Amino acid sequence: MYNLGQYVPRESPVDKWDPRVKIVGVIVLSIIILQVNTIGLMIAAGAVITVSQLARIPLGLLLRTLRPVLPLFLCLFLLYIFFTPGRSLPWFPIGPVQITYQGLYLGIYQVGKFLLLVLGASMLTMTTPQSEITIGLERLLRPIRVIGISSHDVAMMVSLALRFVPMLLDEMNSISDAQLARGANFNPRRLSGKIRAIGYLAAPLSVNIFRRCDELVDAMEARGYQQGHRTYLRELVLTRADYCLIGLFIVMVIAVLV
Amino acid sequence: MIRIQNLTFAYEADQTPTLKDINLLINEGEYIAIIGPNGCGKTTIIRHLNALLVPTAGEVLFNDLNTRDPKSLREIRSRVGMVFQNPDNQIVGMSVEEDVAFGPCNFGLPAVEVRRRVNHALETVGLTGLEKRRPHTLSGGQKQLLAIAGLLAMDPEIIVLDEPTSSLDPAGKKNVLTLLQKLKGQGIGIIHVTHNMDEAAISDRVLVMDGGELIADGSPDDILSRVEWLKALGLAPPKVTELMWHLQQAGEDVGSNIFTIQDAVSEITILLAELRTARNDNMPRKVGRYV
Repeated sequence: MYNLGQYVPRESPVDKWDPRVKIVGVIVLSIIILQVNTIGLMIAAGAVITVSQLARIPLGLLLRTLRPVLPLFLCLFLLYIFFTPGRSLPWFPIGPVQITYQGLYLGIYQVGKFLLLVLGASMLTMTTPQSEITIGLERLLRPIRVIGISSHDVAMMVSLALRFVPMLLDEMNSISDAQLARGANFNPRRLSGKIRAIGYLAAPLSVNIFRRCDELVDAMEARGYQQGHRTYLRELVLTRADYCLIGLFIVMVIAVLV
Repeated sequence: MIRIQNLTFAYEADQTPTLKDINLLINEGEYIAIIGPNGCGKTTIIRHLNALLVPTAGEVLFNDLNTRDPKSLREIRSRVGMVFQNPDNQIVGMSVEEDVAFGPCNFGLPAVEVRRRVNHALETVGLTGLEKRRPHTLSGGQKQLLAIAGLLAMDPEIIVLDEPTSSLDPAGKKNVLTLLQKLKGQGIGIIHVTHNMDEAAISDRVLVMDGGELIADGSPDDILSRVEWLKALGLAPPKVTELMWHLQQAGEDVGSNIFTIQDAVSEITILLAELRTARNDNMPRKVGRYV
């Protein structure tokens, strides 16, 4: 199965960028998107498309990552066009339904912003393996040591969470299969039945999660995991180009905010 | 070398101890099998070997490092590796190579050295080429090999395995056992907790536990040939051994310290050859004339 928005090696220059640069880039992009006007938004969209071409991601594939969020944004769009007061479009109002120029503009503008945010995030996950994202995150979070939290621990938690998701899905499927085999009905028409079905799944699943956690803790301790310093298989080294990019990002943020 | 002195351990202070006054010396490079019925304390004892548990009374010493001493914890855990029963719950990394790197990274080794160890460990267990795979897409046998690779990357002196093959298919089992013998050949000590007596048969030394006590300690020849005694403990001797034992009980001239199919075949062949000569001796001399 092809997973939407997941990393696939494409041997592109963007793949080789330092994950920290990419993370900072996405954050900067998000800030910019939320601050600029329509023209700025178009420029940002142009930038996203340019980088996606650099990363050799087919445009169709990138746009497909929008599919899961589309219904939500469609609702948002409809709300904007129907409920913004202003000068109405020709032929409107038809009965109580009213669409205004302002509403149309606002709908396209706001939904465009959100779609671009999602695209930016998808590009990060499509060009960077999860492990690199966590290492990058760890390095970026190093300063939080001052408030007594180890960035290694945070990175470890993130990476464990990511690693256990597919396993928990498997486990949930096997639990629900076991219950189906004993005549459980997971597709009841009534809401109360649905809620009960969640309970039947959740209880054994959480018990299993705790059992797994116990074993995982033992395995990690047995392999010498302790709080404090550790190293990584991949050392991240920022090149001059990376520094230039980060510098550029900072300049852009300042320019947009001021 | 691991020295266990008067080890007593209870999970709760007011309960009867799970381990009772155990004394044991584990030499370097030994391949030891620990057998015993469920709940006999096998898992509890091996958890003492790398300080996951600390004795209630008595001492566990690894090369004169006491497992009670928090300062020796890292050293002990890097030198005594442990593989658990369920391969899924001991894989930490998001890719094969990252999981192998987990141990060495915990000990703060530089990336170049980590990379060298990862490659070497993966080569030893035969998972080279799967570096970038996500662990949950591996087969059960491969996951267990990965777990062992993760230990090898820490350069252990001894590897402790808690029923590593119990959830594997026959091919996976064979891969793990072959690897264990290869590691033994490289001088790494193996402690293998198992319910499978065929697996115990390939060890150098078998420890039998029951009710929290060490009740026997000897060569596989010595221990596994005690067919009736093993059965009384609720353990099953290897099927071949039991077969030979039944033949012996029926009055046939065979040994009962036979643990492999090959040995059994040669023993039975000898028996059959003897039978054939004996029958020929009893035949009338000039057979051809009556036919």
